[in-house]
Amino acid sequence: MTSSAAAIPAIHQPAERRALWRSILIHALLIGASILMLYPLLWMLSGSVRPQDEIFGSSSLLPSSISFDGFVRGWSGLQVSFGKFFLNSLIIAVLATIGNVVGCSITAFAFARLDFRGRNFWFALMLGTLMLPYHVTLIPQYILFLQIGWVNTFLPLIVPKYLATDAFFIFLMVQFFRGIPRELDEAAMMDGCSPWRIYWKIMLPLSLPVLATAAIFSFIWTWDDFFGPLIYLNDINTYTIQLGLRSFVDSTGQSDWSGLFAMSTLSLIPVFLFFLFFQRLLIEGIATTGLKR
Amino acid sequence: MATTSIARPQAGVRPEGGGLLHRLFGRQPAGYLFLLPWLVGFLGLTLGPALASLYLSFTDYNLLESPNWVGAANYVRIATADPRFVAAMRVTLLYVVLSVPLKLVFALLVAMAFNRGLKGLPLYRAIFYLPSLLGSSVAIAVLWRQLFAGDGLVNMALWQLFGIEGPSWISNPRYSLYTLVILSVWQFGSPMIIFLAGLRQIPVDMYEAANLDGASKMRQFFKITLPLLTPVIFFNAVIQTIDAFKAFTPAFIISDGQGGPVNSTLFYTLYLYQEGFGFFRMGYASALAWILVVIIGAFTAFSFLSARYWVHYDE
Repeated sequence: MTSSAAAIPAIHQPAERRALWRSILIHALLIGASILMLYPLLWMLSGSVRPQDEIFGSSSLLPSSISFDGFVRGWSGLQVSFGKFFLNSLIIAVLATIGNVVGCSITAFAFARLDFRGRNFWFALMLGTLMLPYHVTLIPQYILFLQIGWVNTFLPLIVPKYLATDAFFIFLMVQFFRGIPRELDEAAMMDGCSPWRIYWKIMLPLSLPVLATAAIFSFIWTWDDFFGPLIYLNDINTYTIQLGLRSFVDSTGQSDWSGLFAMSTLSLIPVFLFFLFFQRLLIEGIATTGLKR
Repeated sequence: MATTSIARPQAGVRPEGGGLLHRLFGRQPAGYLFLLPWLVGFLGLTLGPALASLYLSFTDYNLLESPNWVGAANYVRIATADPRFVAAMRVTLLYVVLSVPLKLVFALLVAMAFNRGLKGLPLYRAIFYLPSLLGSSVAIAVLWRQLFAGDGLVNMALWQLFGIEGPSWISNPRYSLYTLVILSVWQFGSPMIIFLAGLRQIPVDMYEAANLDGASKMRQFFKITLPLLTPVIFFNAVIQTIDAFKAFTPAFIISDGQGGPVNSTLFYTLYLYQEGFGFFRMGYASALAWILVVIIGAFTAFSFLSARYWVHYDE
């Protein structure tokens, strides 16, 4: 710095120019990649408002005219309207999400804060279920729910969540609860607070970030779930949106693209809204916990 | 703890060795009340069913008649006389081996392009993340089916750009699996975010020191970035591999639930579904499930053992 002020620009200029070119190159690559990534989604969106005869033979994103016929045809394209499928999905997703948050947080509170015999034993077993593929419980669970008459009801998709069967969320919450200072609940306990009140009045209010993360991911996963509904829901009146879409593919085959794209687009809207409004929470959730989606 | 002696009766905390309740359940028996929902779920929906399926895997249970013990017959048939099992295994392994490394390479490359104080990062990150958030839904599988159909977007683009007439990718057994690999790679967003978080953990002064020593960017990548990132690579690889073994929805939608054409998209889970819920061979499907557990378990154990030799945990 001190030797020669005039020499500095001469030395740094090529480097700066190189950095500029580098950054232009990186942006060009990223913009190109972004277009490639989004093109299929935009194509679906534009396909949903395209006049039906135009989809074939067009890879462009701009339809010649906008038509909402696809939405109208698609909405009542099956014997039961898509409104019913949306309602079913919404009921299942909301109740399952509440169940996951309540069930897992109560369990996590016991593991993180209460001192009872056998806690470490149960905790180890809980961690063990993290690695267990759902395939091994699938068939006996199905037989069980069949025998108690729950097939073709929403119950098999909802009730297990209240029993904290999703070990991943328990683990997530235990980690978070352990980060809350113990002095808080010890002081409350000295004041005669019951464990229930500590859970309800201290832990839950202090854990809103992790509860929100768990709630959002539960909702999205339940909304997108295809396997569970496929097995348990056979009556078209109980279909979720994912099953409805699948039937729509089967019944129209390749003939009604705009109707199919219109319903596909609609089915993505709830997840997309979460993406718009809770993006930071989603990304932080993944970055800090390694959630897989 | 000293505080317990002051605790009032409703506090749920009582001195050690109080009553029978405490001798049975420990210092805070209330813990079991909180644990009750999970215990019921664990015993009734996880442990019980897992043991039941282990038992069923040694029977010929078909949902209509009561199960008959057949010994290891299901396993013997899977190992020696089931061409569809072999096909499913081949398809699934090929899918894992192709999709996981490609996905991770893309995720890492993009994360590295991001890491240098890039302008517009939040927007790019959001764009690249979106497919992996939406990707598991039926709508995206439906979209993929239309993209790679004979008259789909891919072939239109090929025709308009290069004058090439492409085949129907999804109904050609030579290509159908690769369309699913592309679908999986398209969803590189979440491993990318995890890589991004990992890259941020690497201290900047390591690169500064390397720059002073005149180390090239290439050398810095192989000597600093890659070694320090190995724990994250390991994590992503294990999670993505287990996930790839369980893939189901896209193959089901693209092949109308058949795993075709010619078993070319017969993912393991799809095969298990067909046996269990298409043909109601519940015993046989249970055996398939346990084989999957063994495969995933062996893979995970192998990963953790191998980690000793290539994952750096020295921080």
